[in-house]
Amino acid sequence: MATLAAAVLLVALPAGGQVDLGTEEQRAAGKIVYDKYCGQCHGDTGDGNGYATPRVKPKPRDFTTGTYKFRTTPNGMLPTDDDLRRVIEIGAPYTSMPGWPNLTSAEIQNVIYYIKSFSPDFENPDRYGEPIEIPRPLESTEESIARGRVVYEEQGCAACHGEVGRGDGPSAPTLVNDKGDPIKVADLTQRWTYRGGATKEDIYRTFSTGLNGTPMPSYADSLEIEDRQHLVNYVYSLGDGDDPNYGTLITAVYSEEPIDLQDGETLDALFETAPMTRFPLVGQISEPGRNFFPSVTSIEAQAVYNRDEIAFRVRWHDLRADTSGRNNPSLEVPMWDEDNGIGDDGGDSDDFFGEFGGEEAPAEDDFFGDSGGDDFFGDGGDDFFGAADAGPPGAEFSDAVALQFPASLAPEGTPELKPYFLYGDSQNPVDLWFVNLTYGVADTFRGRGSESIEPTEADIVEAVTSYDQGQWTVTYKRRRSSRAGVSFAEQQYTPVAFSVWDGFNRERGNKRALSSWFYVYTEPSVQPATTFPIVRAAVIVLVLELLVVFLVRRRARRQAAGEEAAGGTLAATEAPAV
Amino acid sequence: MLGLNLPVVIVLAAVGGVLAWRRANTLTWLLYTWVALWAFFKYGFAVPIPQSVATIYLGITGLALVCFASSSRERLSETAQPIVRLILEPRYRLALAGLLVALPALAAYNVYADLNVPLEAPGFGREVHPPPPTEMTVHDETVDMATAENPYLHYNHDDPELYGEHLENGRRIYYENCFWCHGDGMGGDGMFAHGLNPVPSNFNDVGTLPILQSSFVHWRIAKGAPGLPGAGTPWDSMMPAWEKFLTTEEMWDVNLFIYDFNGYEPRALGQH
Repeated sequence: MATLAAAVLLVALPAGGQVDLGTEEQRAAGKIVYDKYCGQCHGDTGDGNGYATPRVKPKPRDFTTGTYKFRTTPNGMLPTDDDLRRVIEIGAPYTSMPGWPNLTSAEIQNVIYYIKSFSPDFENPDRYGEPIEIPRPLESTEESIARGRVVYEEQGCAACHGEVGRGDGPSAPTLVNDKGDPIKVADLTQRWTYRGGATKEDIYRTFSTGLNGTPMPSYADSLEIEDRQHLVNYVYSLGDGDDPNYGTLITAVYSEEPIDLQDGETLDALFETAPMTRFPLVGQISEPGRNFFPSVTSIEAQAVYNRDEIAFRVRWHDLRADTSGRNNPSLEVPMWDEDNGIGDDGGDSDDFFGEFGGEEAPAEDDFFGDSGGDDFFGDGGDDFFGAADAGPPGAEFSDAVALQFPASLAPEGTPELKPYFLYGDSQNPVDLWFVNLTYGVADTFRGRGSESIEPTEADIVEAVTSYDQGQWTVTYKRRRSSRAGVSFAEQQYTPVAFSVWDGFNRERGNKRALSSWFYVYTEPSVQPATTFPIVRAAVIVLVLELLVVFLVRRRARRQAAGEEAAGGTLAATEAPAV
Repeated sequence: MLGLNLPVVIVLAAVGGVLAWRRANTLTWLLYTWVALWAFFKYGFAVPIPQSVATIYLGITGLALVCFASSSRERLSETAQPIVRLILEPRYRLALAGLLVALPALAAYNVYADLNVPLEAPGFGREVHPPPPTEMTVHDETVDMATAENPYLHYNHDDPELYGEHLENGRRIYYENCFWCHGDGMGGDGMFAHGLNPVPSNFNDVGTLPILQSSFVHWRIAKGAPGLPGAGTPWDSMMPAWEKFLTTEEMWDVNLFIYDFNGYEPRALGQH
């Protein structure tokens, strides 16, 4: 019924009235704004080929194609002006497209007219569609979420987005858009990274209109409105909060228990008690081997300690476990690999994606329609794609992670002094607890700057690793005291920084995602009581008050007694008009 | 404007106006002064000021108010009068009892709130524009920081076409290298900015580019974080030493471009 109505609407619609390309003056005014703020990425001719293009991912929109991802219009149609305005105003999170709150409404409208002039499609009334209606979200009941889960399974969402939505489906590593550029599947658990917006309305819109030019189809024809709403509730329920709540501190909690890395259950129970902090990761872009588009944008960390040992646990999402290649913190990265995956400068993954996009893309419709995505990819993405000539991209390098600590704490009097956060410096070295996930054991390195990273064996750091449904978990353990490196005393703030390498993204050596310096605080093993200081403050104030009252009254009594003796009256000295 | 939270400031001023109109007594004025200052520090700024600074100001103000109140015998008794009446007169007995309970409760709550502030990483001050060296060497050339100027700036008047070429080259450099942190619109809000501490410079800010000589900007571009003195906490900053990646000409071009994009001019030589 809904589809029929939509069809009727579509037939009835192509009124040329929708074509609004603005006036000559408006487009000229739009060009001025565009040339200043947009051309550097989208290209001065709108072809998506600006100065920044080789180093950003996803690539800037090519306006000459008339293909737009974020629309309220049916699949394949052009966006409305409001759709374009929305993206210009708020941008696309975790991409190189920022919001432009400084532009006036008129400036944005002019830019929209100018952008539309890049593609002849906007002159064609047949390419315009009526915006879909977005119903109010259904209440997020258990039944609704359960029904949404069924729809998620039936529609094969997991093939790309993964069983629990971490963007790790078997086909995730293979996805390309219609230009053959690799694209990243949304991690449904990190709502703040949704490019098209994170509200339930945004999610409904994405199901219903699809993302043109990408493998994300529209479900307008295959799913009833209500099922789409249930699916919204399910996807929403996968989310790990509205925003990332980035923190600056790991609080290490004290435990009497022994820390045994081999006893998974006890270990998990131990970390249950420790607060989890999420830290932002960005690309390393200070030293050669720059990483302009890191795969991993955040990492979660916890810590527990007992009398002798301290353990850290870190977690992050990765679309695939790369456990066959090489990696270490100082692996060399040739200059051309900074622009890898984009442009014509020779990374072998380019060829792979190009080929794959060309040959396999048409097949995608079939496997999305096919509910058995899981079975199809059942024997593992690696095997399936291993058959391709070029081999799977990124198999050359393995996933890896490192914790970084100063080799020694800052001397007294200069608490702010830390080693350079990029692998330390010659005066102030750092220690890296590095885990190449091919081997799953911790190797320690001492860094005195990017050019000077040496293995050390001064401290024994143990590690266990696991990859589950798109999430890496690495747990480290070391003795709290160390002769060569930093010791973790109680109530001490110790600087810590993180690095994550995604082998699939050809990250290795200095091409990595990294964090600034943050801190780990070892909470006191005995928590001070809080009631006493609170009661003490109240009692002190009360005593002071009573003292004042007592003194004032005594003085008044004495005065009164004195004045009575002198025959005066109280009223003469008291209470003049205020 | 001025980074103030205007509604709060207006409300505080309005309360002051009402007090003046009602000819409030000295005690009320003193209390108002202190509480209004507290509220101004806590809520009056768009960007919150450090708690420690507010505490110092409030402490000094409190002392000043006490000095004022006790500056003469008359003023002291005038100020204390309402308190004495509150304590002595039977009709205020209920109010006195309320106050006796309320103040300890407030103190207790304050301690409770202090104890429950979530732990934060220690913060340290850093100099945003630490003094540059007197000279530096970039690509084997010595640059005298006091006299160096952007060698292409004068084309602005002498040869606009050549100026345009340098600007365009600067634009290319900026969007190939800089916008990840400093932002497309140069607001210091690029896609990596949220993960950096210190945050990248905001070039839109009137307090940044216009107050700096172009040689200072050249120093920051060429030497980056590793070239900062200790007061600038070089160990925390992501700013690369661009001499590793760019030629001298490219660094001056991007210097030219960031000034031009924001409609600013470098501070002239010898101007302090």
